[in-house]
Amino acid sequence: MRKYKFNVSMMWLLLCAGLFVAMTRPAYAQSPELQADNKPLRVALTGKFPPFNYYNQQGELAGFDVDVANAIGKHIGRKIQFVPTEWDGILAGLLGGKFDTIIGSMAITPVRARQVNFSKPYYHSGAQLFVHRDNPAQVYSIDECDGLKISAVLGETYQHYLDENHPNIDVVTLKSSVEIFELLQQQRVTGFVTDRLVGSWQIKQADRPFVPVGGMLYSEDIGIPVRMDDTALLKQINMALAKIKADGTMKRIHQKYFGLSTTADNAGKATMSDAVIARKLLKGFAVTIGIAVASLAIGFVLAIPCGVILNKPKGGMLILYWPVRTVVDFLRGTPVLIQLLFAWMGLGLSPFTAAIGTLGINAMAYMAEVIRSGLMSVDQGQVLAARALAMNHLQTFRFVVWPQAFRVAIPPLMNCVVALTKDTALVAVISVSEVIREAQAIISVTFEPTKYYFFVAVMFFVVTFPLMKLASMLERRIAQRGFNHD
Amino acid sequence: MIEIKDLSYVYPNADEPVLKQISATFPRENVFAVLGQSGSGKTTLLNCIARFLHPTSGQIEIDGKDIASMDELEFRHTLGVVFQKLNLFPHLSVLRNLTLAPQKVFDTPLEDARKQAREMLDRLGIGDLADRYPAQISGGQAQRVAIARGLMLQPRYMLLDEPTSALDAQTTQDFANWLTELSNVTSFIIVTHDLPFAQMVATHGVYLTDGNIQATGEVTDILNQVQQPTS
Ligand SMILES: Nc1ncnc2c1ncn2[C@@H]1O[C@H](COP(=O)(O)OP(=O)(O)OP(=O)(O)O)[C@@H](O)[C@H]1O
Ligand SMILES: [Mg+2]
Repeated sequence: MRKYKFNVSMMWLLLCAGLFVAMTRPAYAQSPELQADNKPLRVALTGKFPPFNYYNQQGELAGFDVDVANAIGKHIGRKIQFVPTEWDGILAGLLGGKFDTIIGSMAITPVRARQVNFSKPYYHSGAQLFVHRDNPAQVYSIDECDGLKISAVLGETYQHYLDENHPNIDVVTLKSSVEIFELLQQQRVTGFVTDRLVGSWQIKQADRPFVPVGGMLYSEDIGIPVRMDDTALLKQINMALAKIKADGTMKRIHQKYFGLSTTADNAGKATMSDAVIARKLLKGFAVTIGIAVASLAIGFVLAIPCGVILNKPKGGMLILYWPVRTVVDFLRGTPVLIQLLFAWMGLGLSPFTAAIGTLGINAMAYMAEVIRSGLMSVDQGQVLAARALAMNHLQTFRFVVWPQAFRVAIPPLMNCVVALTKDTALVAVISVSEVIREAQAIISVTFEPTKYYFFVAVMFFVVTFPLMKLASMLERRIAQRGFNHD
Repeated sequence: MIEIKDLSYVYPNADEPVLKQISATFPRENVFAVLGQSGSGKTTLLNCIARFLHPTSGQIEIDGKDIASMDELEFRHTLGVVFQKLNLFPHLSVLRNLTLAPQKVFDTPLEDARKQAREMLDRLGIGDLADRYPAQISGGQAQRVAIARGLMLQPRYMLLDEPTSALDAQTTQDFANWLTELSNVTSFIIVTHDLPFAQMVATHGVYLTDGNIQATGEVTDILNQVQQPTS
C-alpha cells in the first residue's frame, strides 16, 4: 500500500510536468522574423494535394500553390505563414478568421462566391473521369456511368457536380485520393472523378494502372478566396497575380510542375526520405501525447470537485449540483468531434487551446462520474468514525474518504486515460499537427496508407497497452486486498 | 455523570418519535449498560449522546456541561465512540488507524503518536498487529483496534454500540475481562441487547422499551423486572 501511494504521487508529478510543457508550447510554429508593422499573410492549404501543395522530402511544404503564394507574398511585401488545414473546414476557417486567405487550388463556384470574394483565376483545370485500365464496366465517358459507383473526394467540387448533373451515378465519397485509389485498385468502384492534372500526377506517382477516359466533364477556374470585407487584400492579390503573370513567374512555376521539358527533373516528383517520415511521425506523436497529458491533467483536477458535487449534494453544494450534472451529461452525451469543431470554429479558439480545452473538459466529465461512484462506494460509517475522532470535513475527506474512493476509482480512471488518449486522434480534424495529420501528409505523397496507418495504430497501442495492463493489475490487486471488513 | 433531560428524537420523515421524553442519569461508573430490545431506540440514544444526531427536544449534559455548547475538540476528548460496525479505516494500517487523528487533529508529533499507539496496542495485547491492515485481522482483534483507536484521544467516557455482536462465547468472555481492566481509567457505556454479557461487566444500567425508560438501577434487578428471556 505504501509503495502504491508513491506511484500515485509520481503520476501526479508526471501529469503536472506534461501540463506545463503543453502550456508553454506555442500553438503554431511562427516564422522566425516577423516585422512588427507587417503581419505575415496567413495562407491556408491542406498540404495533401500534390503537386499543388504537399510536404517534400525535407518535410517542408512545397508545390505549385506554395510557389504561387510565395511569389504573391514577395509582391505585396508580406511574409507568408502557411496554416495547414483540413479541406472540410477550410472555408469555415477562413470565414472564422483563422487565416487570411486560401491558396490551395480552390475552384471558383457560385456557391462559394456567395460566401467569399475570389481573386482572378490563377490557373484553369477541369474534371476528368479516370477508370481502371482493365475497364471491366466498359465505360468510355461519364455519360455511361449511370448506376455505377464513381468515387470523389468528400467536399470537393466533383462530388457536387456529379450529384447535380449525374443523379443516377452512385457517388462514393472518400476522404482523400489515397482511399479512392485503394478502392479502384480492388475494383470496388468503376472509376473516380478528379482534377485532370492532379489525377494524372497522382496516378503516375502511385504507379497505378488507371487511365483517363472521355473529355473533361467541365473546366474550372481556380482562384484565391478572401473574406468579403477584406477588399484591400483582394486588390493586392489581384495586382500581384497580374504582375506574376506579366513577368513570367507564373509560367516558370507552371513549367516546374507540369511542363513537358521538366518531367525528368525531380521538382514535381514528391518522395519522402525515411528520416523525414520518422521525424514527422515522432513529432506528431509527441504532440498527441502532449495534448493527452495536458487534457488529462486538467480533466482530473476538475473532476475531483465535480465528483464531490455529484456525489451527495447538501447545503451550499446543492446550488451547484444541477449545473454540474447538466454539463457532465451534455459532454458525455454529445460527440467529441462536434465539441472540438464548436470550440475551434464556434468559439474561435486556437487549434491547440480548442483541443486541450475540449478533451480536458471531456476527461473531466467522464472522470467526475468515476470519482462520484468511487466516493459513493465509501461507507457512511467511515465519515462517522472520522467525526468521532474529531476530524473536520476537510480532514475527513482528505485522509479517510478520498484515499478509499480514489483506490476504487483507479482502474476505471485508467480506462478513461486510455479512451481519451485515443480521442486525441480526433483533433486532426481541427488542424492540429498531431500524428494522424502527419501520417495523412506522408500518405498523400507515398501512397502507402496501409503501412502508415498501421504504424500510427501501433504507436497508440504502445502507449495504451501498458495502461490497460496496469489498470487490470490494479483492479486485481484491489480485489485481492479487499478492504471492507465485515 | 451523563444526564439526559427530557430527550426526544424524531427521525426526519417519521411521525412517531423514537425517543419519548427520556430522562436518565448515567453515573460515572466503570461500565454502565444501556439495555433494550432491538428497535427500542438504543442506537438512536447513543447517536444523540455522541452528537451525531441533534435531539428534537431536551438536552444532554456530561459532567455538568451541556454537550450542545461544547467545542468539538473538547467534546471528542470527553466522549469516545466505538461503532457496532467498528468502521476501522480499511486503507490504513492498524498503527495508522490509531495515529491519524492524534497527528492530524491534535498536532501530536508523529513519533510521539506512534509511541503512544504502540503502548496502547500492547496494553490491549495486540501489539503484533500494528502493521496489518483491517482486512487482515479477526473480528475480535478488530474490536480491540477500534477501542484502542478511540482511547488514543483519552476520553473520560466511551460509548460501545453492540460490542459483542460479532464475537463468539469465548471471545466475549475475553472481551469482558479486559474491558473490566480498562474501565479503571475510562468509563464505558455499553449499548447492548446481550443481557448475559451486560451482567458480566456492568453493575448498573437502564432498560429501554419502545423509546421509554422502562427500568433503571442494578442490572440484576432490571433483568428480574423485565423478565426478558435472554438471547
Ligand atoms: N435513520 C432512520 N430513519 C428513520 N427511522 C429510523 C432510523 N434509524 C432507526 N430508525 C428507527 O428507530 C427505531 C429505533 O432504532 P435504533 O437503531 O435506535 O434501535 P436499537 O435499539 O439500536 O436496535 P438494535 O438493537 O436492533 O440495534 C427503530 O424503529 C428504527 O426503525
Ligand atoms: Mg442498535
